[in-house]
Amino acid sequence: MRLSRRGLLRAGLAGTAATALGGLASGCAVPTGSTGRNMVLWYWDGGLGETVVRQARTRFDNAVDLRAVKIGGYYRSKLITTLAGRAHIPDIAGLKGEDMASYLPDADQFVDLRTLGADRLKSGYLPWKWQAGIAEDGRMVGFPIDCGPVAHYYQYAVFRKAGLPYEPADVSAELNTWEKFFTAGEQLKKRLPGTYLLTDITSVFEMSVNQGTERFVDRDRHFIGDGEHVRAAWDRAVEAKRRRIVSNLVSGTPDQWSAVEDGTLPSQLNASWATNDIKNGVPRTKGRWRVAGCPGGPSNIGGSFLSITRACREPERAFEIITWVLGAANQAQGFVDAGLFPSTPASYGMRKLREPDPFFGGQITMDVFGPAARRIPVAYASPYDMALGQPVKDEIKSVGVLGKNPGQAWKDAMSKCRRIAQHLGVSV
Amino acid sequence: MASVKGSRSRGIALHAVLVAGLLLSAFPFYWAVIMSTHTSSEIFSYPPKLLPGAHFLENVRNLFDSIDFFGSMLNSLLVAGSVTVLVLFFDSLAAFVFAKFAFPGKRVLFALLMLIFMVPAQLAAIPQFVTMARIGWIGSMTALIVPAAANAFGIFWMRQYMKGAIHDELLDASRIDGANFLRQYWHVALPVVRPGLAFLGIFTFMGQWNDYAWPLIALTDPDNVTLQVALSQLNGTHGTTDYGMVMTGALLALVPLLIVFAIGARQIIGDLAKGAIR
Amino acid sequence: MATALEKPPATAERSAAARPRTGLRRHWHLYAAISPFYLLFLAFGLVPVGFSLYLSLHRWDGLGPMEWAGLTQYRYLLTDIDFWSSIGNTIVIWALATFPMIFLAMVTAVLLNSAVRFKNVYRFAYFLPNVTSVVAVAIIFGSVFSTNFGLVNALLQAVGLDQVAWLNTPWGIKVAIATLMTWQWTGYNAIIFLAGLQTIPGELYEAARIDGAGPVQTFFRITLPLMRPMLLFVLVVSTVTGLQSFSEPQVLLQNTANESTYSGGPGHAGRTMVLYFFQQTFDNNDFGYGAAVAWGIFLVVVIFSIINWRLVQRRGE
Repeated sequence: MRLSRRGLLRAGLAGTAATALGGLASGCAVPTGSTGRNMVLWYWDGGLGETVVRQARTRFDNAVDLRAVKIGGYYRSKLITTLAGRAHIPDIAGLKGEDMASYLPDADQFVDLRTLGADRLKSGYLPWKWQAGIAEDGRMVGFPIDCGPVAHYYQYAVFRKAGLPYEPADVSAELNTWEKFFTAGEQLKKRLPGTYLLTDITSVFEMSVNQGTERFVDRDRHFIGDGEHVRAAWDRAVEAKRRRIVSNLVSGTPDQWSAVEDGTLPSQLNASWATNDIKNGVPRTKGRWRVAGCPGGPSNIGGSFLSITRACREPERAFEIITWVLGAANQAQGFVDAGLFPSTPASYGMRKLREPDPFFGGQITMDVFGPAARRIPVAYASPYDMALGQPVKDEIKSVGVLGKNPGQAWKDAMSKCRRIAQHLGVSV
Repeated sequence: MASVKGSRSRGIALHAVLVAGLLLSAFPFYWAVIMSTHTSSEIFSYPPKLLPGAHFLENVRNLFDSIDFFGSMLNSLLVAGSVTVLVLFFDSLAAFVFAKFAFPGKRVLFALLMLIFMVPAQLAAIPQFVTMARIGWIGSMTALIVPAAANAFGIFWMRQYMKGAIHDELLDASRIDGANFLRQYWHVALPVVRPGLAFLGIFTFMGQWNDYAWPLIALTDPDNVTLQVALSQLNGTHGTTDYGMVMTGALLALVPLLIVFAIGARQIIGDLAKGAIR
Repeated sequence: MATALEKPPATAERSAAARPRTGLRRHWHLYAAISPFYLLFLAFGLVPVGFSLYLSLHRWDGLGPMEWAGLTQYRYLLTDIDFWSSIGNTIVIWALATFPMIFLAMVTAVLLNSAVRFKNVYRFAYFLPNVTSVVAVAIIFGSVFSTNFGLVNALLQAVGLDQVAWLNTPWGIKVAIATLMTWQWTGYNAIIFLAGLQTIPGELYEAARIDGAGPVQTFFRITLPLMRPMLLFVLVVSTVTGLQSFSEPQVLLQNTANESTYSGGPGHAGRTMVLYFFQQTFDNNDFGYGAAVAWGIFLVVVIFSIINWRLVQRRGE
């Protein structure tokens, strides 16, 4: 699984974020949005490149007073509170990728970016990412910020010692399917006893689902989590367990960190932004890592959007700001500032992004991430995916961690999903 | 009681237990201090660092560059300070009534108070936001202070405390002397419940100081927030948060709390060897 | 509560109660004294409470239009095994944390109350768990309970026991969360007890000593009975806050970047009622059902508090 003491930390920071609920509508005698020359932009720390935000402020200074506000705590809850409360709404709001599907049904809270001429910029952005900001009726809510293409991180020397392919190009070419990846895991374990390919099986399941074009609920609000695509991902994760190529460690614990450091967990499937986590988490492994393509094809984790709320009094101006901030040159700067992987392919060739990285033995990692980002499949994300995907993820975790019988776990997952689907009004 | 030798060995055993508790309690705090002296990547490196690093001042500088630390601390002091004063007064006054007087409806009113205490806090935020927006308090510290001016927890606590601490003879005697209700509260009740008030004061101050769920929503002007809201702006998404700075901020934010505790705790046990008999 | 004291013939309470006809006007100052709390509730608490009741009768995704649902949310709540299992988790974790915590707090308070040197130092140290940055706490407890390098397992092995995969087994998870809670709140409760101990007159201990009572006897005959109001307070407050806990499991169990913060670990072993509320509301966008869950939580808390109140409160009081 993903390396993430950082996740633990983030949980700690968000720990006491007791959050909001409720909301009254209609008839407030308070300013709904900003006043005067103010143009208020909400984002979160690391959500946009700081250099870019600073430059935007001076660049548009003669037109508006751009106030970029970092929101701490649980971002979505604060945004929903103000939107539902119809008071103090920002003009421009960042929307996190994982929340996007849940904003789309309420597209009328935002300005349709097509009306501002978004379509003419479409060709400069990754098509699948562009699509993810558009509601079912075609209204465009979110303008692409970044994305998180997944790659295979591995330790060069360990793979070499185990007799596996070890040059990035070879690893990409020879471990390109899950079957070959698992076989490599078996060989790894045989040649170097006590060494495992992955921390646990959850990542196998999630990456597999992400590699497909369907998730848990389709456009017709129909549950498809019992379909072949999910079942295949499930079986693949169970297979990883059966072939004993996963460790019994818990990610984020010292056990896992030490295993990564001493090379007994030499590989992980993770998004581009995990680069920072690895560099910070196990700095002594500098130079040992390489990245290659993910077995089974590219997929994506994370990435966000900017939107213009309906309360905005100057949508044209706001749109001008957004498109400038998220143009290819500034997205490249965002990558430098905050590790935001650009959604603008034109950035990938820029020199800033093509620095050889000594942590990865001088590899230019963009050669792996860039092509992966272009090939990510378009999948429909339903607002009900979270609710109906969770039971399946929970059960596969029980199989992996608690050793639950896979057949029983699948049955439990499906009956739970059916119950929740019925409750949420999703047909089964 | 026991021989000198016996009491000495008992004393050593006592300290051994207390020191064990002390180490358990203080270690994570110690470690938080250590973390604040390292850079983000040092914090994450394995194995964890157990000794101080050299980056404390650098973290402090970054912190002061990133947020208006002292300005927001001033706001926090204003909020936590005024809420504490109001709570101490209103809660102890109400508790005095509930602990020592009889009046029609007392049981029902107290039961209602306890029920309100049990309502999950998560219910409140959005409608409260709307209410405040209509009054026009959003963005100002008033939105934090006024709703918190009296609470069920403190009334319940002071009631329990006063039941044991204020002896009825004292009240009877003062009434015979012609003291009215307020005089009884001020001159008879308050002086004997100082430890109870100290506890309530410390933890009200602390609760307000550390609270950020509601302030985060109610304070819309980024230049005018409380310290916890300012600090929460520092934690971001994957890979970019400077944890050394975050830890430093969390640590510096504790200083006023520790001072309040040190002052308040002295009220809880007068060091005049009250329980010196053994 | 003046059981151990000589009871005065007419207490203030009785003299007032003796004249029931005097009514509201006579007691106006008492009502005025308790009014701030109720007025604040009317002004700022009633709307949210009423709104969430209203919300629980609807379907709502947080932004779109509300849709009337009648009692279906509550009907679903009654049959929702996930909610019931979260009640079970919460109660088990609560019990595992609360009883050791009260015991340890009482012991600590009594020790600190005796004439011990360096009292200030101890008091200060025991306060620290309450204010230590939750970030540091998350990392440390994650480490303490990890399988191969964890402190707990090192201790177990030192005394010849097997390792336990704490964060990988349903019971281990509950024990770990309860330990975290105990660690965080023991000092706090000790301070409460310490404040309570100050109300016990020194003469009582003196008298007991003259009667030849040992420290243990003194504790059970004098300290404990006189501490009953404090004990009631601690138990009720621990019930109300403990049954609404969520940050501890969150801190301890959410360790992967892409995972829901509210899942409560493998097999949901650490998913408390409030975590379940968050999950329904924010992960599932089911604000209406979330409100119904919140009222379910309220009911559980009320029932439990009444039980505990009865247990501690003496009859006829």
